[in-house]
Amino acid sequence: MVLKIRRGSTAAALAAAVFSTCICAAPRPAAAQTGETLAPGDTVATLRLDNGMKILVQEDHSTPTVALYLFFRVGSRDERPGITGISHFFEHMMFNGSQRYGFGEFDRQMEQNGGENNAYTTKDTTVYTDWFPPHALELMMSMESDRMAHLTFDPKVVASERGVVYSERRSSVDNNDFGALFEQVNAAAIVAHPYHWPVIGWPSDIEAWTREDLEEYYRQGYAPNNCVMVAVGDVASKDVFALAHRYFDGIPSHPTFGEPPTKEPPQRGERVVTVRRQTELPSMLLAFHIPETRSPENPAIQVLEALLSSGQSSRLYARLVDKDQLALNVRAGDETSLDPYLLTIRVEPRAGVDLARVKAVLLEELDRVCAQPVPDGELRKAKNQWLAGHYRKLKTVAGRAGELGTYEVFEGSYRRLFEEPGAIEKVTAEGVRDVAAKIFTADNRTVGILEPVHASASDKRASGGAQ
Amino acid sequence: MKRCFLLLATASLYAAAPHLAPVKLPPFSREVLPNGAVVDVMVRKGVPLVDIDVAVNGGEEADPAGQAGLAEVTGTLIRRGTATRSADEFSTALDALGGTFRVQTDPQSTLVESEFLAKDISSGLALVADAVLHPTFPAAEVAKTLAQRRDMIKSAKSFPSRAIDQYAHAFFFGPAHPYGHVVTEDSLAAIGRDRIADYHRRAYVGRNLAIAVVGDIEPARVRSEIAQAFGSAPAGDSFRSQQAVALDRSGSPKLLLVDKPEATQTYFYIAQPGIDARNPDRTAIELVNTLFGGRFTSMLNEELRVKTGLTYGAFNRIDEDRLQGWNTVATYTKTDTTVQAIDLAVATLKKFHDEGITAEQLDSAKAYVMGTRPRQLETINQLASELLRLEVLGLPRDEIDGLFARIDAVSLDRANRVIREYFEPRGLTFILLGDAGKIRESVSKYASDHREIQISRPGFGGS
Repeated sequence: MVLKIRRGSTAAALAAAVFSTCICAAPRPAAAQTGETLAPGDTVATLRLDNGMKILVQEDHSTPTVALYLFFRVGSRDERPGITGISHFFEHMMFNGSQRYGFGEFDRQMEQNGGENNAYTTKDTTVYTDWFPPHALELMMSMESDRMAHLTFDPKVVASERGVVYSERRSSVDNNDFGALFEQVNAAAIVAHPYHWPVIGWPSDIEAWTREDLEEYYRQGYAPNNCVMVAVGDVASKDVFALAHRYFDGIPSHPTFGEPPTKEPPQRGERVVTVRRQTELPSMLLAFHIPETRSPENPAIQVLEALLSSGQSSRLYARLVDKDQLALNVRAGDETSLDPYLLTIRVEPRAGVDLARVKAVLLEELDRVCAQPVPDGELRKAKNQWLAGHYRKLKTVAGRAGELGTYEVFEGSYRRLFEEPGAIEKVTAEGVRDVAAKIFTADNRTVGILEPVHASASDKRASGGAQ
Repeated sequence: MKRCFLLLATASLYAAAPHLAPVKLPPFSREVLPNGAVVDVMVRKGVPLVDIDVAVNGGEEADPAGQAGLAEVTGTLIRRGTATRSADEFSTALDALGGTFRVQTDPQSTLVESEFLAKDISSGLALVADAVLHPTFPAAEVAKTLAQRRDMIKSAKSFPSRAIDQYAHAFFFGPAHPYGHVVTEDSLAAIGRDRIADYHRRAYVGRNLAIAVVGDIEPARVRSEIAQAFGSAPAGDSFRSQQAVALDRSGSPKLLLVDKPEATQTYFYIAQPGIDARNPDRTAIELVNTLFGGRFTSMLNEELRVKTGLTYGAFNRIDEDRLQGWNTVATYTKTDTTVQAIDLAVATLKKFHDEGITAEQLDSAKAYVMGTRPRQLETINQLASELLRLEVLGLPRDEIDGLFARIDAVSLDRANRVIREYFEPRGLTFILLGDAGKIRESVSKYASDHREIQISRPGFGGS
């Protein structure tokens, strides 16, 4: 397919646009829009099969396309040292052959029927995402049920896919400044809970997983009772339900992973991590413990993040990028999570700036947010930004499938998606200040610095090189 | 019994896909203002948002020699101070609405892409028109933006996938072709406030502007507001593109190796001349490229990822811009398997060229392109972007509406002819980015004309 792209698009961005990739972090919000008004929760039809599988369907006949997403409650949170990264490896293996559809058939069948697919693994979930024309619905239900219940594990395929995963690790961590820094900051901030290890897995674990490890993981984690299926688009819910009964009723439920055995103990002092690499520019990443997504404090945290770094008039951008010109970019954010996790602030410092000064200025701005409730105008702005962002995620059938499934898994009910604007509206200036004051303490903080090993030639011409 | 039923059910699922209805542009109005500005308005209900996008014809092609980045930097600065708003005031007003405002420059245009809640369209239009028509380019903001852009060159070198794209453009297209002019520290040094203001004066004029508004709006009222907001711009002159610069196929292979010490992977492009956006073979090429390197089950990805695990993803990219572009393999592999991966990519290209495709493969490509098309025209952003692309390139609406008919019309013979013509395994240009110490000997076989530069050296290797 010819891609009409602008110069500067990265190979990775193209790859993501074209074929199966996985993102070892929380899903990025999808851009989108459709012809149907986003209606309240009662436009979503639901069904729970006897084996525990839950199905959500939202009809939208304005575009001849269907998004079918399967959310499995399996992620790096369910792993242990020795098999870290196996959920993500498993996600790859789900495309490599099942009983009725041999090696390569899943992708071949989809693509020759005008469909595309992707998948991603996070700390908490593995999500399989399918997009296809309506006529392929039954084919998809057949293929998805087969790989849920009867995946095959050919040793040659395991070996080859191991290479692919290692290649992914290399490009997203080993050869990637931010990825390398994030991995270390994450591990320093989270010391005990399974969120401590990277979703992609430690290198030696990637090299050591066995086929038996995979089969065991599959048996435990992949079950209908551990799955939420979401269909949005040009389908009739009765058809989806009938096919769900036909293809999934026969798959037995079984107990899966329980809660992780280890809770993260409170952090009682600042942690500092340094990573040294051959690179041009330094980076900085701060991490602070925050409660899980489901927490009643989450709306205030979302408003706080918008306030801090959404738009060029945001607190951190205005100060660090614009006024003091210390950074190229700064962003505060978090990931959906089932257990308490982290709010991160990422800073890309300009060349030649003093990193201690960057940190000091950043902390000064965080102190400001903790000290005074934000003015009404700014609070209104943050809420408007959140609301516009909320609508943006709901533009496409893909975006809505993602949001419905995410809310169902992380907040306990898809209905929370429709209630969220109301919850955001209720957030007060004092509420934002209070939650900021709880989060942005020195004891709650992990600071990561990426230090270039060789200083760049910078504004002088380098004299080396063959040319 | 159950097994038989399943087999039957499976068999029926393999039946040929039904013919899909063409995906066309929804209805929209198009008018030309007295000053020459084109205005497209399309109503799309759904989430309560509206896109206001503006295209300024020219883009990278409009950058004078030695000033690569002029159009881009000008675009970045239009919101950083206008006749009635300081940079802060603009940002505050924009953010207060929950709006977004982004400016990108591509080979043929500068694109302002903004989005607002539908209820705020009037405020949004006022902001966008202010930035597009009345920027003041304060000296301090110009200095700041140029400094940031210089730093972005450095940071691009921390991301091999970004960096290689710049090196590859400079090396493949060369200094005689506009697409070979990449933004460097030197080109930025040649751009100052005067040149920026002058470029804006010449380019951001009625005859050179196209505006697309798509969303949950009341069209008559909106059309009148747009006319008011943009009608005051002087008509000026529209951008005149240079004559097409034909890319030479007759040369021998050449290779550029960009040394990034301690890199654990080698990124590589394998490029040859491609097409422009009006090429009569473009639809056939889209189809065959789908098979060669345009989807997960492509031949390239099959060989380099699925069968051998050499890479996380391999694909082939063919740009469609105003001038002739390239056709290039783009992928990466770990350092040790560099030669194995490049050899395999070239062998796959040669097999594709020599053997062509079957009718079944062509059908699969057609089904894929048609089946995935609705998702490319689903959002207000995509629709606005398509409308503006038609305007910038001077293409008729049928370019979009007639796609399925053009796809149907591609015969197997024609498909195999374009493969032979456009997917040559000889005379290729190789661009590699990796640990030269480990690979320079073994990759020298790909071209006797080979060069090496350090990634730490300023710029991207072009002249």
